[in-house]
Amino acid sequence: MAGRPIAPRLGRALLLAVFSALFVLYVAGPVAWLVSSSLQTEAQITAVPPNWLPPELNFGNFDAILNAAERQVTYETRRQGDPATGGFLPSGAANLLPSLWNSLTVGLWVAALNLLLSITAAYAIAVIDFRGRRATLYTVLATRVVPDIALIVPLFLVIRNLGLINTLGALVVTYLAITVPFTIFILISYFEGIPRDLYRAARIDGCGHWRALRHVYLPLSLPALVASLTFAFLTSWNEFVFALVLTQNVAAQTLPIVISGFVMDFTTSFSFVNAAGVIAIIPPVVMAVLFQRYIVSGLTAGAVKG
Amino acid sequence: MATITCERITKRYGGVVAVDALDLTIRHGEFMVLLGPSGCGKTTTLNMIAGLEEISEGRLLFDDKDVTWQPPHKREVAMVFQSYALYPNKTVRENIAFPLQLRRTPREEITRAVTEVAEQLEIGHLLDRRPSQLSGGQRQRVALGRAIVRKPSVFLMDEPLSNLDATLRLSMRSLIKHLHHRLRATFVYVTHDQAEAMTLADRIAVMKGGLVQQLDTPEGIYARPANTFVAAFLGSPQINLVQGEIAPDGSFARGAFRLALPPGAAQPGRAVTLGLRPEDVGTLAPGLARLEARVDLVSPLGSETHLEVVAGDDVKLTLRVPKEWRAQEGQVIAVGVDPARLHLFDATTDARL
Ligand SMILES: Nc1ncnc2c1ncn2[C@@H]1O[C@H](COP(=O)(O)OP(=O)(O)OP(=O)(O)O)[C@@H](O)[C@H]1O
Ligand SMILES: [Mg+2]
Repeated sequence: MAGRPIAPRLGRALLLAVFSALFVLYVAGPVAWLVSSSLQTEAQITAVPPNWLPPELNFGNFDAILNAAERQVTYETRRQGDPATGGFLPSGAANLLPSLWNSLTVGLWVAALNLLLSITAAYAIAVIDFRGRRATLYTVLATRVVPDIALIVPLFLVIRNLGLINTLGALVVTYLAITVPFTIFILISYFEGIPRDLYRAARIDGCGHWRALRHVYLPLSLPALVASLTFAFLTSWNEFVFALVLTQNVAAQTLPIVISGFVMDFTTSFSFVNAAGVIAIIPPVVMAVLFQRYIVSGLTAGAVKG
Repeated sequence: MATITCERITKRYGGVVAVDALDLTIRHGEFMVLLGPSGCGKTTTLNMIAGLEEISEGRLLFDDKDVTWQPPHKREVAMVFQSYALYPNKTVRENIAFPLQLRRTPREEITRAVTEVAEQLEIGHLLDRRPSQLSGGQRQRVALGRAIVRKPSVFLMDEPLSNLDATLRLSMRSLIKHLHHRLRATFVYVTHDQAEAMTLADRIAVMKGGLVQQLDTPEGIYARPANTFVAAFLGSPQINLVQGEIAPDGSFARGAFRLALPPGAAQPGRAVTLGLRPEDVGTLAPGLARLEARVDLVSPLGSETHLEVVAGDDVKLTLRVPKEWRAQEGQVIAVGVDPARLHLFDATTDARL
């Protein structure tokens, strides 16, 4: 290090800085624009040159979202909408908050049930030596080989015949079918990485399978559990196609469906849509911030000498 | 309540037979050592006794109770693993207390038991650390503590000392021996270290290829090895094994090499393997057989001297002699061998004659 000339080192640092900045811009740029434009009026967004930052903070879009339920929007009255939205309030605006609630409900149920189902299945396959455990694993994974789009029509028919169309339960069950096989697979590889002797010690010390799971496997796979939780919630939060087919109105429609409806309305209010977008990314961001400290490695340090 | 009876226990992994129709009775309070080379089925046997591996065939009894299909947590055995297997997310205190907590022992009693065990094992100052903050020897003590805190009637130990350095191994060895004396429990101890086996065991089961080769006290196994494998496995330096045959006069012969045997040891003409322990030689005296050999290499160890010698045409032997012997390399020496201490094995079956 000491003998190296300064210039190449400086060049290296500069290069790193430039590419880091480019990367940050690429990842965070759209999000920044989303937030910035949600605080501007429609006129300000469409101005040339564009306003990168809001000329003044304008919460009109958010106000419109939060109070949408109190306004009647019809073909005649839509032009008297909030001036902040350029005079156009999408007819589905009132559905936004209920759909946010639907998305949250479905997401939390999927995250919780996904973990519950996957943990027990993964433990059985990874730890208990039963006949046909490999076959079980491959069967579970095979369900994910069929593309979702091919499943839509049969799934629709099944759900309709069960009388579950336009219910949150139908969405929860459908999303679980997507997330559970992946989660089982992730947890199996994590469980298999936990030293087998720890399982043996637990059994000897007096644990049955449930206690071995609770006292050894769960505490030591916290990062994988948190990752699974996040994965399931985000999958459910972002899902579009199944929700489009399986729901019909505000009773069960989720956020992506309602927001996409704004774009296909008579006219599109970009500032309003972007404000809705900001609301849509808040829960995942909060989740990521809360959970990132659990994603750590080295939990099994000191368990065994290998 | 702790006699362990294995009745023709077999373990198969697919086509591999790891343990082959093992018959073994471990008496109450006994220190049984399973000794054998790597891969001979020691761990598998221990795991089957613990209930951690399913038994493919045969029956396992604790006293008179059939426990073949009983899960491990119902068997009331404690086990120490070669890898220690401490719970990394728990402190030392929690590790030791864990088996008691699972049994819903009252809290005051747990505290008392943990303190007592920590004192015995001299780990009292480590109770609030986590396993990752301990040295190997300390981890091993914690693993022992977790096993003894329950006061079980059966202890299973799978090479508990093999990860420790030589000095630590010695002190832990005597610690374990003291534990056995104090607890009066049945110990089943797996090792491939013959010195550990000899010093700890009441009886040793020498295993090879999933079969018990010999089951006897350490003295018995050393003095009367059942076959050449057992003879070679115990003793350091290794026993000298020489292939040859019985001469018409009843002595052992290989080329020009001759050694007198006890009268009637075997039929003349029979092909045999002779076993001579390096230490079973001494100064020539009446009643001893004469062994003449040329000294090839002298290795003084301080307390004793090892000689590598060549007898007859090509018979290489290692001899253990007192340090006072001043043998020179190249010199021809004559030593005395007590014929009664020689071992004879069949040349084809390797079994003791
Ligand atoms: N899970 C398994 N699957 C297949 N074969 C196995 C399995 N476990 C052990 N074996 C085989 O069974 C035999 C006995 O293994 P075991 O672990 O009991 O040996 P060991 O005597 O404890 O050896 P070491 O001293 O190396 O620990 C070996 O040949 C091994 O390859
Ligand atoms: Mg082993």
